[in-house]
Amino acid sequence: MDSSRNTIWSAMQSKGYNRRDFLQFCTMAAVIAGIEQSALGSVVEAFEKVERPPIVWLHFQECTCCSESFIRASHPIVADILLDAVSLNYTETLQAASGFQAEKCLQDTIKKYPGKYILMVEGAIPTADGGVYCMIGGRTAEQILQECAKDAGTIIAWGSCASNGCVQAAKPNPTGATPVHKLVSQPVINVPGCPPIADVMAAVVTHLLVHGRAPELDSLGRPREFYGRRVHDTCYRRPNYDAGLFVESFDDENARKGYCLYKMGCRGPITYNACSVVKWNEGTSYPIQSGHGCIGCSEEGFWDNGPFYQHLRSFPGFGIESTADTVGATLGLVTLAGAGVHAAVTNIRKQKLIAEIHAEDAESNHQKES
Amino acid sequence: MSRIVVDPVTRVEGHLRVEAVVEGGRIVDAFSSGMMVRGLEKILIGRDPRDAWAIVGRVCGVCTSCHSLTSVRAVEDALGIVIPRTAELIRNLMECTIQIHDHVVHFYHLHALDWVDVVSVLKADPARTAAIAQSISTYPKSSAAYFSEVQQRIKKFVDSGQLGIFANGYWGHPQFKLPPEVNLLGVAHYLEALEWQKEIVKVHTIFGGKNPHPNYLVGGVPCSINVDEVNAINTERLNYVGSLISQAEEFINQVYIPDVLAIAGFYKDWASIGGGLPNYLSYGDMPTRGYAHPEYFKFPRGVVLNRDLSTVHPVNAKDKQEIKEYIAHSWYNYQEGNDAGMHPFDGETSLHYTGPKPPFETLAESEKYSFIKTPRWQDQPMEVGPLARLVVGYAAGNTDIREVVNDALGRLNVPKEALFSTLGRTAARALDAKLAVHYMREFFGQLLDQVKANETSTFNPEKWNPSTWPAEAEGVGLTEAPRGALAHYIKIKDGRIANYQLVVPTTWNGSPRDGRGQHSAFEASLIGSPVANLEQPLEIIRTLHSFDPCLACSVH
Amino acid sequence: MSATSLPNANSAPAGYQRVYVWELPVRIFHWINALCIVVLCATGYIVGAPMRMFYAAEAYQQYWFGTVRFLHFLAAFTFTFNLAFRFYWGFVGNEYCRWTRFIPLKRWQQKEIVEVLKADVLQTKLHGPISTGHNSLAATIYIGLFAACAVQIVTGFALYSSMSLGLLPRAFTHVVALFGSEFPIRFLHHLMMWFFLLFIIVHVYLSFYHDYIEGRGTVSSIIGGWKFEKRKHD
Ligand code: HEM
Ligand code: HEM
Ligand code: NFV
Ligand code: SF4
Ligand code: SF4
Ligand code: F3S
Ligand SMILES: [Mg+2]
Repeated sequence: MDSSRNTIWSAMQSKGYNRRDFLQFCTMAAVIAGIEQSALGSVVEAFEKVERPPIVWLHFQECTCCSESFIRASHPIVADILLDAVSLNYTETLQAASGFQAEKCLQDTIKKYPGKYILMVEGAIPTADGGVYCMIGGRTAEQILQECAKDAGTIIAWGSCASNGCVQAAKPNPTGATPVHKLVSQPVINVPGCPPIADVMAAVVTHLLVHGRAPELDSLGRPREFYGRRVHDTCYRRPNYDAGLFVESFDDENARKGYCLYKMGCRGPITYNACSVVKWNEGTSYPIQSGHGCIGCSEEGFWDNGPFYQHLRSFPGFGIESTADTVGATLGLVTLAGAGVHAAVTNIRKQKLIAEIHAEDAESNHQKES
Repeated sequence: MSRIVVDPVTRVEGHLRVEAVVEGGRIVDAFSSGMMVRGLEKILIGRDPRDAWAIVGRVCGVCTSCHSLTSVRAVEDALGIVIPRTAELIRNLMECTIQIHDHVVHFYHLHALDWVDVVSVLKADPARTAAIAQSISTYPKSSAAYFSEVQQRIKKFVDSGQLGIFANGYWGHPQFKLPPEVNLLGVAHYLEALEWQKEIVKVHTIFGGKNPHPNYLVGGVPCSINVDEVNAINTERLNYVGSLISQAEEFINQVYIPDVLAIAGFYKDWASIGGGLPNYLSYGDMPTRGYAHPEYFKFPRGVVLNRDLSTVHPVNAKDKQEIKEYIAHSWYNYQEGNDAGMHPFDGETSLHYTGPKPPFETLAESEKYSFIKTPRWQDQPMEVGPLARLVVGYAAGNTDIREVVNDALGRLNVPKEALFSTLGRTAARALDAKLAVHYMREFFGQLLDQVKANETSTFNPEKWNPSTWPAEAEGVGLTEAPRGALAHYIKIKDGRIANYQLVVPTTWNGSPRDGRGQHSAFEASLIGSPVANLEQPLEIIRTLHSFDPCLACSVH
Repeated sequence: MSATSLPNANSAPAGYQRVYVWELPVRIFHWINALCIVVLCATGYIVGAPMRMFYAAEAYQQYWFGTVRFLHFLAAFTFTFNLAFRFYWGFVGNEYCRWTRFIPLKRWQQKEIVEVLKADVLQTKLHGPISTGHNSLAATIYIGLFAACAVQIVTGFALYSSMSLGLLPRAFTHVVALFGSEFPIRFLHHLMMWFFLLFIIVHVYLSFYHDYIEGRGTVSSIIGGWKFEKRKHD
């Protein structure tokens, strides 16, 4: 093995750790990753042999909050990831080189590490009108994505933009914004959220490095580890929900007691994310803890399910506030009224109808008898 | 005559492309292009105005929360909602937070590599770096051992052959002028800032539940205060904010400001490069007696023309003659035609790409070359940003602003004119952060006073229900975002958004020229700049970075 | 004096014969189903729009909202199995409850739909005999109802799948993937409640109405099983 290549072991040596520290680190990593003790040997080996895995991080239709979130990671901190764990070879947001020198970083990586580099995508890809709504270096986002995806070892879609289209894909989706998994043929690890939680992002990367394979994914391509439960399932306000104790208006008596935000539109019951457990920014808080309902930012199409202040979307085609209930109740009343009118009319025609029916019956009985 | 194409311009938010025409080692013309659009202004139409803050929040995750704040201001302006004082203080604290965070991340992680040569760090003497560090600041992490550890780390990193984000940088360029020891200081603080920045944003997390993209609320803020309750903003939460402010004070005053001044000392030639436009616009911000009273804002509102600091021109963003957006060189159509200027209340966002079919080599020959619209104040181009904020405040005689600006000019021993430059812009940003953290402490004290007086209401429910709204309303939200003057215009009809237009700092600065050929700030400041090596356009990105471009913002 | 000359309703039955249309299993199904749907609508509505209740007590002292949800799920399971039973019975029960009776593929059924529509909406007189079991219009509406039940079961169990490790709910997890998220599923599930409420109004009203205009014990048939049919002329 080329000794100049940096492995995690050599990176640790250089930071003054000894072999015992290193083994301890491997054990910890293995425990975190849930590997049995017997398999520990292979982890040690993996860290000793693997050169820092090259990463290409593409930016398309995005607000860069996924990158911003990523640098908020606290365990591990992002400096350690960037300097010791991976080799982030291309990312427009942070890299030193610009212009063709930057593009060279990209080309070098995909040529040198076919099948090995990790492709991370932040942002959606506009597909309308030939893809002109996002172009880098004179090429469209889609052209760049296809080129980079072709030989990627693993593909990660960061955030709701890359995993489900997010805000630019909200109606009427003027630029044809499309998530990554709809454009590439390989499997994609979707890490939705607007943005995803920093430590979840760091953990997905760590998972890949430690295991050398993708975390277990659900039917929407999301790591079960972080998207297997609803925000609601582990929300600390859940006892209030079950007890029927709800905030009725922002900053009311109940809000000040931390009651459940369901009636303020909380989407926690239909949102799969780790917010209520991992929480945000080193476990400091999460939307609900700070008094606002979950808007479901990790779910496909959450923008088109507003207003955010009722727990179900408004009924399409009616006023902003019309819920399924207002529409339904109106129809119900109309129906009741209809039945009432119908009954009244029937009643007026009663004499005539009964007379006619009896006349018929009488006649048929008469016929039988005669 | 030769042409340089820089695309992607990196270490900015989003997709910026710049083409520069160079003659005799100087830029004679420049074209700034925003290359990505999402059409959010169209997506907003027909939605609930109370949801808008969340949608426009996603315009940008770098200046995260600015658009949300501006949006709730616009809606409140339209509906005549006045928020409680406690809510105003919390919003101010959150705004200061992003101001500080954004500036620090910009300086260390987006801008520093234009001034600091990472590779030369290996040649530094850590003991001398320690001496320098101790001479300019009392920041505790300043021992020779500390700097030597950082140096070792960089050495191993460079030795690994995998240079990651530092690969193909312009290392060794003649424009790098710092001694290795100061470079080492810069790199150490690059890492230090990376760790610190994740702390200060916790103010957003505490009041807004997350960062990036904390929660806002029309009518106030979503969090409730109750010091007798664990489930609300209580003493522990407030203490947490207090200690984050202390950390921020230390970082800004003991790391950021000294670093900027130290580095600026070596680059005084850049105090006469990249000045660009002579006009500065600031909407003013940090209300202390309500958003409706700009006369009590911490940062004053106004325009300075031709660098004439004796006059501040008043600004009325609602005046249909004052602010207009043009599309002469932008990929849009207006119903009234290409030459029309639209006040944002009547603004249109109708995409119409007419550039070359990708893949292409150059855009400069095309008539239209950007997705950024071109805003003008009384038909004049304006620079916006921290520099404009300070220039307007300075001209308006604001004592806080005068004090920090004069102090910095004195320490660098440069005249006032030095402000109007690439270096001036970068220094102004640092001073802006210094003011922000100072105000943060003040606002925090006032918040505690509110709590003490038991005046803790954080939400005004009066106009929450759309049935209380007029059939039609329009409003403007104005904010001084980290990158400058930000305006959101909303029209509400029958409880829904009828029109929504954003005119964003980088829209002002990064836009293409207007129909009369007047350049906007990026282009104007590049023209005249030297370029030593056509293959390594370090000077171009230096000046661009001094604006802290945000392309997702500029186009949205 | 012959009975036929009496001008009131009680004097008519001489021309009718009793027919056993709804077997006991069908009647039991009907009432369990009706009960479940009423409970599901009521509890579902509360789940969607909980009322202010017991705000004086602390969370650990009560569980009423959880109980409402529990009732919803209890009714949901009963409802599902009950319906599954009826599905089976539609293949083995008597001629009146067979699936063939529900689906209006035959010409006479289609004609009867038109006939009944006229009688119901225009309030014309019924001409000629209509089916002794469901009339063809009712049967067609029941098909719609069964479809609605299926939608409710699919969407309901899809929502329930995230709260359960049970095999049945777990089988519906892929429905979420099909819709992309639970947002539209929950919305649809909620919306469908209103279909049921409208159905109940119309169905109950028409039961009495037909009982009245046909005069052959429609309402009591779903309790006792018997209807009346005009004797065939020999
Ligand atoms: C006639 C049949 C049914 C009706 C009318 C009905 C109605 C409703 C309504 C109105 C809601 C509230 C939705 C909201 O506003 O969020 C609801 C929730 C729900 N229903 Fe049903 N439902 C029916 C059958 C079922 C079935 C068969 C299941 C299967 C398990 C089911 C499972 C659920 C679940 C899991 C929820 C969400 C409850 C929660 O998260 O607390 N429902 N239902
Ligand atoms: C939630 C409430 C109800 C539902 C969902 C419902 C549903 C149904 C269904 C599916 C059938 C067809 C039965 C079969 O073939 O198995 C039926 C028949 C019937 N139901 Fe109901 N039912 C409801 C309530 C009632 C009530 C309250 C009455 C009494 C007034 C009633 C009276 C009848 C009658 C008389 C029939 C036989 C109709 C015929 O001859 O076509 N139902 N109902
Ligand atoms: N330009 C801009 Fe922003 C800022 N500051 C917003 O208003 O960065 Ni994304
Ligand atoms: S997912 Fe959300 S946070 Fe991430 S880039 Fe998209 S809009 Fe920004
Ligand atoms: S606040 Fe939201 S997530 Fe938490 S219990 Fe209530 S509804 Fe569920
Ligand atoms: S809004 Fe997003 S951040 Fe979490 S609590 Fe909801 S998924
Ligand atoms: Mg705009």
